[in-house]
Order: sequence, then structure tokens, then C-alpha cells
Amino acid sequence: MTIWTPQDDGHADLSSHDTFANGAPHNTFARLRRDDPLHWTEYEGGKNFWSVTRYEDITQMNKQADLFSSARGIRMEDQSYEEYLARRTFQETDPPEHSKVRMKLLKAFSKTTMAQYEEDIRTLCAEILDQALAKGTFDATKEIARQLPMRMLGRVVGLPDADLPWLVEKGDALIANTDPDFTSHVLDKMQTDEYRMMPFNSPAGAELYVYAKELMAEKERKGDTSGVLNLILEPAKDGSTITETEFRNFFCLLVAAGNDTTRYSIAAGIQALCHQPELLDQMQTGGAVWETAADEIIRWATPALYFRRTATRDVEMHGKTIREGDKLLYWFISANRDESQFEDPFRVDLMRSPNRHLSFGQFGPHVCLGMWLARLEVTVLFQELAKRIKSIEPAGPQKFLRSNFVGGIKELPVKVEAI
Amino acid sequence: MKVTWKLPGGEAVTAQADYGQNLMEAAQANDVPGIVGECGGSLACATCHVHVAPEWTEICGEAGEFEDAMLDLVENKQDCSRLSCQIELAPQLDGLVVSVPAD
Ligand code: HEM
Ligand code: FES
Repeated sequence: MTIWTPQDDGHADLSSHDTFANGAPHNTFARLRRDDPLHWTEYEGGKNFWSVTRYEDITQMNKQADLFSSARGIRMEDQSYEEYLARRTFQETDPPEHSKVRMKLLKAFSKTTMAQYEEDIRTLCAEILDQALAKGTFDATKEIARQLPMRMLGRVVGLPDADLPWLVEKGDALIANTDPDFTSHVLDKMQTDEYRMMPFNSPAGAELYVYAKELMAEKERKGDTSGVLNLILEPAKDGSTITETEFRNFFCLLVAAGNDTTRYSIAAGIQALCHQPELLDQMQTGGAVWETAADEIIRWATPALYFRRTATRDVEMHGKTIREGDKLLYWFISANRDESQFEDPFRVDLMRSPNRHLSFGQFGPHVCLGMWLARLEVTVLFQELAKRIKSIEPAGPQKFLRSNFVGGIKELPVKVEAI
Repeated sequence: MKVTWKLPGGEAVTAQADYGQNLMEAAQANDVPGIVGECGGSLACATCHVHVAPEWTEICGEAGEFEDAMLDLVENKQDCSRLSCQIELAPQLDGLVVSVPAD
């Protein structure tokens, strides 16, 4: 299996989206973990930042939200205070403010709530797979992985089915805003001044804004209280309510966060099946493997390559001084391949247990809200896939997304033999 | 110090833990099934829920206000429910017994 990107000489530019267009630069991450775990990374497009690459460091730092704050941005790109205020969601706040909003959402996204959607997911998976597999040779990202997450999110959120294809497209444009295949407004390649106040700097953000507003108005008019969006509109115990801006941003967050991440987890899982044929046998044997498979696939995928924090005061680490206001990138993709935490990290082991990967930003207050949904989707998709195929193999070169933030195989040609 | 986790299936895990750790961290260090602790003790996930054995509830103390609100989200909340990341291990808890609720 191709793991080491041959283009990566161990000194790849982590701030460059182009670097990741060939897959994550694992040689560079391995070197940094070993020699320079707190690496000052130069960034042409803005302020330089610290790259944190070791598992142990990230887990320790992610807990300390008072010291390493989410409230000054969570992406590498810099933003002014005005931009921050206009675009932020509760993901860009710190406890205790963060906790208040999050608490309202936890129940809606809990393991138990999500389990109720299992049959829905299974039906959707069956539909999607039957269509795709009939083709024999096809792009697995497009025909399988791209379809499920948005349709499922639509159900959970309570959106009309007819709107879902449009949402998939907008979700793509929102988050893959550095890949020209997905947006005509490539973030680092043009002046996007007009959109600076929009979520993810994107015109798709503007459209989603309008959609969210209309959606709520419609629901209110009909007295429809289904789905999770209503949960966050209810006043908190102290009587405070979410503002319209906060609401619209949260809606965009759901579309963006629930879409690509799950998609690229599924894609990475299919890619693994192509390269480690024993995985399909294991899945077909079934049983206990399903308790651990999804997490290993999601570790393998690590679709959220990093999230950023900002230091709130000076602090010493690894003999260096992190200054107040310095940006820090927690490279989950590196932590998930850290040989001191994972045995044989470049092998997919569906029975890996315990598997305390960091794909969901674990060990911090922002740990993914959608993780139970994502795990369920991945589990059910692969259960249904394994039932239907005898073999699966690559049918052409795979292509990665041009982004140092979302890691994903955007084109994955495969050939399957159906059962 | 020692801690015992009773598991839903009837078995139990008894293990050595360190002062200064919290009970969730001790569970993770010993791979106790059912104590996930996804948020690393940030009071943001409620995946570290335990029922404290009757003889230990007083010594462990009550859940704080926010912890209590978080506990409203779990299945199987009881008076003896705590989020184990909020229980700091200290000498007076040596021998602590808790059970892991079925989910
Ligand atoms: C495999 C799929 C997924 C991956 C890898 C993933 C990854 C992540 C990560 C790494 C974070 C933490 C960000 C940080 O530390 O700042 C996060 C947060 C979040 N995720 Fe996910 N996610 C996935 C699926 C989903 C889904 C399906 C949804 C929604 C339905 C979702 C909604 C959210 C939200 C709302 C947050 C913010 C939570 C907070 O700030 O408290 N995610 N996700
Ligand atoms: S570990 Fe998340 S609430 Fe205790």
C-alpha cells in the first residue's frame, strides 16, 4: 500500500495545500515527531504557527482550553476580530460559554439518539450500494462515499429530501474551499474580500445562510419541531437564546462538519479494502469486528487533518517559548500515526483495541459532536458493502483533495465483483 | 491505591490507580470497558458515567451543578451517578467501588 508519499523528502511545507494534493506528508510528520515535535512552521499566507505532531502532546494540550483557546480561530488562516465575530460558531468558543451551547446539542447527537437512525441508514446504504455496484467499475468516492452523509444529516436535522443534493454541493464548496474541483473561489488563490464575513469565506456560506433562515421560518410557520435544529433554539436554563447569526453559523457548521469528514472516512475504508484483501474476509466473518472496525477506519482516514488553537499566555514547551497569541496546529493525522501510541500505525487493523485515535479531536472539550452518527454510518455502510461483494480492487490512480485541513481521497476508481 | 469497577456483565476489574489521577483516567489506564472518556475530562461528553457504590457516595461527594446538568443526558441516571472525570483520586478513596452502567 502506498503510504509514504515519494514527493515528501521529510521537509514538506505543512502550510501549503499543494503539499497535501499527493496525500499527507508522512515522512515529514515522522521526522517532526522524532526531532522537532514543536515545530515553528513558516506560512506565506499569514502569521507563522507551531506544528504539534506527537500524540502525547496533543492530548495533553487539547485538555487545556484555557491556555490553548479555540476562541481566536480554529483554522490556519488568520482572521480579524470582526471576521471572527461574524463567522464564529460555538466551536470557536471556550468553556464555560462553549459548554452551555454544547450541552443543548449532546442529547440530540448522543449514541442512543443516533441508534434510532440505524434502520434508516441501512436502507439508504442499500439503495446507494445497489446503484453503485451495478456499474462494476466506478469512482467509489463519488458513487458511494459522497452520497450517504448528507442524506443522513438531512434526516437527523429534519430537512426536506428534495434539498439534499443541493446541500451536498454547498457543503463541498464550504469546506473544500482550497480545491478548484469543488469551488470556483479557491481560498488562497484569489481576493475573497467580499466573503470575509461569511462562514468559511465562501459564497456557498452566503447561500447556506439564506437557506437556514428560510428553513427556520418555514418550520416555525408549520409549527414543525422535528430534528435537532430546534433544540438549539430553545432558551438555556438562564434564559439566554442563540442569536440569528449564531444559528446560521451553526447550521453551516453541521453541513460542513457532517459531510466531508464522514465521506472521506468511507472513502479511506474502501481504499483500505482494495489494498488489504484480508479486511473484506474479516468483515464477512462479522461479529466482534464491528465493534472496532469503524474507529479503525476513521483513524486510518483522519479526515480532519488538524485543528488550530491560540495560546492565551506565554508557555514553555520542549525548550521553546510559545508566545501569547501564537497559533498552534494540532496535527491529528500525525498523532494517529504516532508509533509510540499505535502499534504498526500504517496498517489497518480492524480489531485494534483499545484504539484511542484522535480523529474526532478526542481529549478536549470540542470532541466531535457527530461522532456517534459518523461511527454508525461507517459501520452500517461497510456491513452492507461486505454483504454484496466478492472482491474489490483499484481501477486507476486515486486523487487526493488539495487541502491541508481536510484529508480525503476525492477520486477512487475501483472495480468490484458483486456476489 | 486500589479501585474496583463492577461491569454490567457481573465481572469486576480491580486495579492500581494513582493519586492525582481522576477516576476516568484511571479507568482508561486500565482499559476498563464502558468508560470511554472521549473529552479527556473536559465535562463535554458524558461518556465516563459511573454509579458510586452506596458506602462511597458520601466520601465521593455530590456532582457539581454543571456535572449534574450533564448527567441529565445519560441513560440510567441515579442518585449515585457521577461523571468519573470529576472524581479526583485521593487517599480517602483507597478501595473505592463503582459500577459501570449498561448503556
Ligand atoms: C468521521 C467523521 C467525522 C470526523 C473525523 C469529525 C472530526 C471532528 C473533529 C476533529 C472535531 C473537533 C474540532 C476541534 O477540536 O476544534 C469535530 C467537532 C465537531 N463535529 Fe465532527 N467529525 C465527523 C463527523 C461529524 C458529523 C457527522 C457531525 C454532525 C452531524 C459533526 C459535527 C461536529 C460538530 C458540531 C463539532 C464541534 C463540536 C464542539 O466544538 O464542541 N462531525 N469533528
Ligand atoms: S470524560 Fe468527558 S465528561 Fe468525563
